[in-house]
Amino acid sequence: MTEVLLLGRRAVREVARYPEATIPTLFIPLFFLAVNLGQIQKTFPSTTPFLKGESYVAFQLPVSLMFAVATATSGLALVTEIDNGYLDKLLVAPIRRSSIIFGRLAADLVRGVGGSALVLLVGLAFGADIRSGVLGALVIVLLAALFGVAYAGFAVLIALRTRNVQATQSSFILFFPLLFLTPNFVPFDRLSSLMDTLAHLNPVSYVIVGLRSLVIDGWKPGELAVAVGVILAMGAILTALSLRAIATYDR
Amino acid sequence: MNAIASSSLRRTFRGGIEAVRDIDLSVSEKEIFGFLGPNGAGKTTTVRMLCTLLPPTSGTATVAGIDVLKDPDKVRRRIGVALQEIGLDPVQTGRELLELQCGLYGITGKRARERSQELLELVGLLDAADRRTKTYSGGMKRRLDLASALVHKPEVLFLDEPTTGLDPASRLTIWDEVRRINGEGATIFLTTQYLEEADKLCDRVAILDGGQIVAEGTPEQLKAQMGHDVVSVSLNGADPAATEAALAGLTGLERVVSAPGALALYVEDGAGQVAEIVRRLDRDQIQVGAISVSRPSLDDVFLQATGRRLEVEEEEKP
Repeated sequence: MTEVLLLGRRAVREVARYPEATIPTLFIPLFFLAVNLGQIQKTFPSTTPFLKGESYVAFQLPVSLMFAVATATSGLALVTEIDNGYLDKLLVAPIRRSSIIFGRLAADLVRGVGGSALVLLVGLAFGADIRSGVLGALVIVLLAALFGVAYAGFAVLIALRTRNVQATQSSFILFFPLLFLTPNFVPFDRLSSLMDTLAHLNPVSYVIVGLRSLVIDGWKPGELAVAVGVILAMGAILTALSLRAIATYDR
Repeated sequence: MNAIASSSLRRTFRGGIEAVRDIDLSVSEKEIFGFLGPNGAGKTTTVRMLCTLLPPTSGTATVAGIDVLKDPDKVRRRIGVALQEIGLDPVQTGRELLELQCGLYGITGKRARERSQELLELVGLLDAADRRTKTYSGGMKRRLDLASALVHKPEVLFLDEPTTGLDPASRLTIWDEVRRINGEGATIFLTTQYLEEADKLCDRVAILDGGQIVAEGTPEQLKAQMGHDVVSVSLNGADPAATEAALAGLTGLERVVSAPGALALYVEDGAGQVAEIVRRLDRDQIQVGAISVSRPSLDDVFLQATGRRLEVEEEEKP
């Protein structure tokens, strides 16, 4: 545990000292939020049935939160350490290799909480109303951050498997199918048949729906439970694969 | 007990590349053991296997009496490692990096702060201690990397090309540091492609070529095995076979080793034979370049063992 804390603290320090790595990841969700609202808000006034009296910003907010936390930052940091030899220094220390991964994921959690809290505040400033209240807002931030931790597993896994900066950077392309083949602009029932099928197959859709329910509906345990389940399952699978990759790193 | 021992240690990479072939090692406690060889000889692969970073394809190895395959974690507690790639986190300061390194070895709190301060002082980095390591020069990075390998006072220290890319002054600083660490009782296993480094720093040297040890002993033993003086004849375009034939039967000639563009003659009385060498070449109308006489060096040992001179390939270090 001490090792995880030490390595986590180091990774968090890295976040603070390299704001240029975090700022673009926050720029994207805020940009999309502003642009989407500017283009679509008039099309979907608050009288639109699926908005249930909320403004469209409330509907879009969970998507922006996903955009804010779905980054390849940890994978890129890890592959940089592979490149500059620091990972070898860690691997030759008498620590559990899993602590290297968990240290990175701890930083993702901190980064995710900060990023999603900021996006949430911007959403509130744009007029979103969180119907599940302050507690709901806290749950939204926490779940978004946990989704960020789970999603970080993609880039971490690619970094360990390929040991290549370009390959790790290219993990960014996963972002598009995972976050756009979802009910991000309209609910499932407004999507075309093909998009509806794809969005239903995409686990991220259920995270968006779960978070959206906290914003628009209040507390809906069923949708929330599915969202939590998806985040935990995704996190467990990707973290397990990353742990396996680092355990067999030098084979 | 040997500090390091290996038997038929072998590593074959994907594609059948045999980086290390059946290496037998025996390094005594408190010894400075040098692994000398050109790039690609298998030095780093051997170090990585001994440091538990790379499993051998076959063979066995123990470090500090512990099997590297059976109990790698115990080995890691007893060794310090400074690899060829300087393993530093550029975002941290020198002090933070050492304190973290202490933590990874179970040294925390006040003890970690004191040990880091002590090491920073020792490697002359106190003034730069609170600067991020990305601002350090190559020599400073190397010294900090060395300090980070020492936080837990390891019994065996592995240094993979610790001075490659350093300027001569920084190289001497590292040598002094290595001697001091050894003086405190640590066994040092260092790889190098510098003949002078192996000669001046190491108690014993193994010459590695093509993944195999081709010569081993103290620098003095290895040089003594070469016999007498070395007369180097720069061929300057002359035919090597004709030149060798002209010099056959020279008094006191032990052997002739051909290197690209030159012949090395191992002769009992080198200086005394120069006139005769010139006379014979003149007689056969062979035009050569410079002729020089020297005592055998590790370079001659290397030439004798591998059939070529050791050419150092400097790497750009930031």
